[in-house]
Amino acid sequence: MGTYILRRIIQLIPTFVGATLLAFIIIQLSPGDFFTEKLLDPKVRPETVQRLREQFGLNQPIYVQYLLWMKGLLQWPPQLGYSFAYQQDVWQIALPRVLNSMILVVASTFLLYLVAIPIGIFSAVRQYSLADRVVSFISYIFLSIPSFFFALIMIFLILQLNYAARDAFHLSNNAQILPVGGMTSSGSEAWPGWKRFLDVLWHALIPVLVVTARDIAGFTRFMRGQMLDVLGQDYMRTARAKGLSERVSIYKHALRNAVIPFVAGIGSILPGLVSGVGFVEVVMNWPGVTPFYLDALNSKDLYVLTGFLVIGLVLLMIGNLISDLLLAWVDPRIRYY
Amino acid sequence: MKHPWLVLAALTALGAGLGQAQVQVYPQKWTVAKPGEAKRGGVLRTSVISDFRTFNPFITAEAGNVPDTISGLHGLVQRDPSNGEWIPDMATSWTISPNKLEITFKIRRGMKWSDGQAITADDWVTTFKIHTDEKVGSNSYDSFFIDGKPVKVSKVDDYTLKITYPKTDAEAFAVASYTPWPDHIFGPVYQKEGAEGIKKMWGLNAKVSDIVSPGPWVIGSYTPGERLVLKRNPYFGEWNKDEAGNPLPYLDGQEILIVKDTNAQLAAFLSGQIDLYSPSTVDQISQVRKAVQDNKLDATIKVNISPNATSQFIVFDWNKKSDPFKQELFRSAKFRQAMSHLVNRQAVIDVVYGGFGTPTYTSIYPVLKDWVNPAAPKYDFDPKKATQLLTELGFTKKDNEGYLVNAQGKRLEFNLATNAGNNQREQMARLFADEAKKVGVKVNFNPIDFNTLVGQLQSKGDDRPWDAILIGLSGGGLDWPFGSNVVPCTGSLHMYNTSGKCIDPRETQLSALYSRGRTELDLAKRKEIGNQMQVIEAQLQPIVYIAGPNYHPAWNNRVGGQFPDKLINALYGSRTTELTYIAK
Repeated sequence: MGTYILRRIIQLIPTFVGATLLAFIIIQLSPGDFFTEKLLDPKVRPETVQRLREQFGLNQPIYVQYLLWMKGLLQWPPQLGYSFAYQQDVWQIALPRVLNSMILVVASTFLLYLVAIPIGIFSAVRQYSLADRVVSFISYIFLSIPSFFFALIMIFLILQLNYAARDAFHLSNNAQILPVGGMTSSGSEAWPGWKRFLDVLWHALIPVLVVTARDIAGFTRFMRGQMLDVLGQDYMRTARAKGLSERVSIYKHALRNAVIPFVAGIGSILPGLVSGVGFVEVVMNWPGVTPFYLDALNSKDLYVLTGFLVIGLVLLMIGNLISDLLLAWVDPRIRYY
Repeated sequence: MKHPWLVLAALTALGAGLGQAQVQVYPQKWTVAKPGEAKRGGVLRTSVISDFRTFNPFITAEAGNVPDTISGLHGLVQRDPSNGEWIPDMATSWTISPNKLEITFKIRRGMKWSDGQAITADDWVTTFKIHTDEKVGSNSYDSFFIDGKPVKVSKVDDYTLKITYPKTDAEAFAVASYTPWPDHIFGPVYQKEGAEGIKKMWGLNAKVSDIVSPGPWVIGSYTPGERLVLKRNPYFGEWNKDEAGNPLPYLDGQEILIVKDTNAQLAAFLSGQIDLYSPSTVDQISQVRKAVQDNKLDATIKVNISPNATSQFIVFDWNKKSDPFKQELFRSAKFRQAMSHLVNRQAVIDVVYGGFGTPTYTSIYPVLKDWVNPAAPKYDFDPKKATQLLTELGFTKKDNEGYLVNAQGKRLEFNLATNAGNNQREQMARLFADEAKKVGVKVNFNPIDFNTLVGQLQSKGDDRPWDAILIGLSGGGLDWPFGSNVVPCTGSLHMYNTSGKCIDPRETQLSALYSRGRTELDLAKRKEIGNQMQVIEAQLQPIVYIAGPNYHPAWNNRVGGQFPDKLINALYGSRTTELTYIAK
């Protein structure tokens, strides 16, 4: 086992170099750079733009830029590079966004497993019952709505809810039953810790629901399929035949085998922690990774892009390793040497 | 003694002059609030579309940045939003040397930084030094140069500052109006560590209490990606008062939310989470109006109050050595006039801006009402005239596909590019291509990546890889509203001809008039030159201007203190934060 882990780690090195090099080249292949936009500013002279390019090393050949960046990465602590826009270390400016996104990611992942697995099992065990059909129907709806659009609909509904509540309870014109976006309330900096925690939860409610709705739908369908697969196996008939109760045969025999593919997918949860929940963050104005990353992409803030890539890459590699090891533990058919 | 209180008042004023700050009074005409109506306290809630990048005034570059916001852009002089004239601000008076190359400013006494230190001439000198250090990479670097020659800022004494210009310049006061930053904080670091030391200061993770401001605000707190909270700088009120003598600003502070999405901004305004909002599309305007009509939102919206300071235009490439047919065509003023006749500006306004836009005919933004020459010829939408001009150019017949050809059988056809993803520009280009097709001009519209487009526009030499580009510019001076790198033939944004040499004699004339206007200090004469330039611009049509969107500010009625309607426009906005107050 120990040698296996060591071998895997050594194998990661060429993967890491290959992936970063490829990403670095692809980003640089697209036309222009961070300072291109300045060329259209009537107040900025082209010599100034040229000088800035030299200052940030953008006039050097790509391989030199890559090697310089690699050199920084291999230091301890690793230097992810310098953002052109913020003129600061990438990690320093990215960390708060990553933490904000993690609130949504962790909450929705937790909710996902909590809700989707039982529903999936239920649908499989009561296949073609009315409840199964209703669940399937709702799942297909959520699967087909893009989450950013779902978020827009939710914003509209929240607005109507707020308006209605103000009329119904004679509240002030700015009262909110649910916030239409953001992560914290105004003035919350001065509140005690527990109140700030509740405030963040209040703001996270809708984004988490929006993000999870889609995932639950997909996950439930998948879980149902897996369970149905397993329930049809010979060993299930054997289990029932030898007189095991339905509960034991489903939860001890069927479920354990049905979750194996999910264990293999756990590796992708780790990079998911830093990559945010996508456009929902933009639409619901959540100060997470996505808006930040889109900004960097738009302005070609090179090292922010590569920096995120490296973090994601490292986490993906660690995550894959962990899920491979977990698989060996869950599935007795797998052995590593 | 008939009026003892008069003497008393005079004595008090004298006392104020000796011991206290020389007070600057914000005139009543800058606010709709009646005297004494404004209340003290409360927080203004606004939003910005992109997150802040730094607190450092020397490396900041984005619009709506923190240093500009907390300083309120105060400098030696400021523009009066009621007439655009330069009036005293942090300077109380100035004298101009006989050769007009030196301005000596008397700095207002009694001004203090938000940490309580006095604001003196050293602050301006140090700020100037750091901005003009190449290694710092300040965004203001270029503003301290006139025709590539540096401006000099020097201290005469603690409260006297001399600015020396390399040549007489219409923008002299604009150059002098830069915001000072504290010498006692930046000076020592700059001396010890130079540019590298300056670049490390005042990053977003700096302690907010260390950020010192000359203006109405200081930073209370900053949460990345979420909000910036500003507090009133108490020292600002010592030298800034309203006409009743109340210290400004009225507000306790501001809360600036970072809202990355325009839909989310609209939702925040509709639900009362932010106080100020400027809708830019018809849909946003009508949603605000509907919420107000339905009594769901107590707000004011001023639709179409002024045009915005931007322009959209089509530019043709004059440097096409490898394609003499197109080169000759694009260099012909008649051809470009014909193209202007094919721009259906009203349709652009209706389709692209939902009826809320303003047609543009010269490089002067329509919002600069005092500068627009109404007598300049307009080559407005008129396909018949376009056809006539094209006939005069020899395009008399049509080929079997219905496109115009000349005697040699060459088809009238060119490529038009704009940046992909900009829906408004893509719509404009399609409208133009449609109208062109109707008279037999084949326009191949092709949206391309923004950076590629800029690369093409900026390409140099006598053979460039593009035909026509639809793009826009914004920004520029108000004292001499012609672009320093747009109009002169050698300018880097002289987009139609980057060979470095003037080709058309009228191009030479425009370059010469540009320089003359820039060095002319008499406003009336400068406007005269500007009018002349617009006539030439219109006839030459080096750039075919299309139209621009209008400005529609909206605010929640819990805030007061906005400008009277006639002062509200895209240049000065709807209010000063100093005179803004919370009404309910």
